[in-house]
Amino acid sequence: MSSETNGTAERFAIGISFGNSSSSIARINAEGKAEVIANEEGDRQIPTVLSYIDGEEYHGTQAKAQLIRNSKNTVAYFRDFLGKDFKSIDPTPCHNSAHPQQSDSTVAFSICDTSSETPNTVTVSEITTRHLRRLKQSAADFLGKEVNAAVITVPTDFKDAQREALIAAANAAGLEVLQLIHEPVAAVLAYDARPEAVVTDKLVVVADLGGTRSDAAVVACRGGMYTILATAHDYELGGAQLDKIIIDHFAKEFMKKHKTDPRENARGLAKLKLEGEATRKALSLGTNATLSIESLADGIDYGSTVNRTRYELLSGKVFAQFTGLIDQVVKKAGLDVLDIDEVIFAGGTSHTPKIAQLARNIFPEKTTILAPSTFIGAINPSELAPRGAAIQASLIQEFDKEDIEQSIHPMVTATPHLQNAIGVEFTSGETVDFKPLLNTETALPARRTAQFSVPKEGGDVFVRVCEGVREIKVTKPEPKPKEEKTKTEDDEDDSDFDSDEEEEEEIRELVWKTEKPIAELAVKGVKAGSKVELMIHVNADLGLQITAKEVGGQGAVRGAVEAPKA
Amino acid sequence: PSLPSGWSADKDFKAVGTVSAATQRNLEPVGPHFLAHARRKRHHRTFSEDERI
Repeated sequence: MSSETNGTAERFAIGISFGNSSSSIARINAEGKAEVIANEEGDRQIPTVLSYIDGEEYHGTQAKAQLIRNSKNTVAYFRDFLGKDFKSIDPTPCHNSAHPQQSDSTVAFSICDTSSETPNTVTVSEITTRHLRRLKQSAADFLGKEVNAAVITVPTDFKDAQREALIAAANAAGLEVLQLIHEPVAAVLAYDARPEAVVTDKLVVVADLGGTRSDAAVVACRGGMYTILATAHDYELGGAQLDKIIIDHFAKEFMKKHKTDPRENARGLAKLKLEGEATRKALSLGTNATLSIESLADGIDYGSTVNRTRYELLSGKVFAQFTGLIDQVVKKAGLDVLDIDEVIFAGGTSHTPKIAQLARNIFPEKTTILAPSTFIGAINPSELAPRGAAIQASLIQEFDKEDIEQSIHPMVTATPHLQNAIGVEFTSGETVDFKPLLNTETALPARRTAQFSVPKEGGDVFVRVCEGVREIKVTKPEPKPKEEKTKTEDDEDDSDFDSDEEEEEEIRELVWKTEKPIAELAVKGVKAGSKVELMIHVNADLGLQITAKEVGGQGAVRGAVEAPKA
Repeated sequence: PSLPSGWSADKDFKAVGTVSAATQRNLEPVGPHFLAHARRKRHHRTFSEDERI
């Protein structure tokens, strides 16, 4: 690795997650752990909002509060407009703030950002630059150091034009963008970088539940390297929908008492939105939450409470959409819930306890659900993306720009992945068992070693290296004579989940089946009770090197398998 | 598993098949393991060469 500091000013990089609803900044602290930085208001999740009063700029929570009284000069939910054409954007989230408009080929906002009365047209790129400049300043103030570089997280479906626009906007804010990384991968990295984490081969579903949109991705982790197998997006699903449920609930209650609908008044609705969101967040922590708004409509003050059970009852449908998104992405990857080892919940809405519990029901016991309500060691879902970005930033900040660029592009696309798993076949009597050593979707070249215990009596050991595929074995339960089975349980796949709660459910399990043999080896004269170590190395051209030897013994059996002819 | 009787091969090793074709996928350029992978690939090193350095 060449890490010369060729005279240029030293880089100081942070991790930034830039979202539609909120953004965060993170760095690696002295102990080498990722840490999310709070801004001067003490917020770690800084609302992505900018507001102007008399030429003065407000940012974050302060700007968000201006959505009530100064909505015309407040810009929010603009991340997804960046680098896009006016026709292709969905301006719905901006109903209660400055509206996006067409300006040449980009999107702009007409706001009074100076002390003069006439509004200026400010492009979304410029807004982004101002927002990033404030984030950078907050980080610099906290760290007491000039921050000049960053790794920024982006959704997986961000187009090249959006990436370029983001890089340009960041450069204009005085930030060198070292790399743009994908949000789900940042979340996986945030978990994998914990000291207690071990690098394993696993399939992870990352559910990023945001404010105005939600994304899900299936990531294959193989030897610490990540490959995205499938992604799914829902641009209408998020915390805002849950807020709406709370808002409607309270608005109806208000109407019963006072005969006016606070939602019909723009300011009343803005107040309900702001307070409703706070109430929804409180319900993620406590089982009861209050809402109180001064002068909600017609000058009437309003206060009420709601408990979690009621909220969960009202939100059942929306919660089902979240789990539906997770289900959808697993299917899209051509996988089954049984294949998934971990589910990582990221994004602010992932704090909702019920969503994680519902996910718990979908997945088998062995799947770890990484959310605050289901896993004690879970990391705050809101902090995953910025932490991942900070870790990546610390890894590459010493590299030259060229180095980073070279490492990022051609390498990535040119990596072949294993189609089938490679492992060892065990035959004991009638049953044939298969133990995968290199799993499917492992990036090549790769190498794995494993130890196998030999038969008790020792002697000569035969190792058969095979390719394997996993299958799902469905064991139908013995139908109980009493119940009328045909009506309750159709044999269709779709009805699987509906019928899960009934007592006699199908038993579904993963079974490995050997597909085709690759090589056979014999290790002779192994002592009783000893172990045989097997190493398989797969080249990028699919050639194999296999080595087997007795643990502690001398002389290994070696061999190579040629690459298949295309 | 024990050695089946009558099995023999040159140097106790026999290649019987090949691996199925690989699928081309994009790796995510993130994390320490990827960076190590990228380093190996750019300098055309193998695992063991990389370990020695």
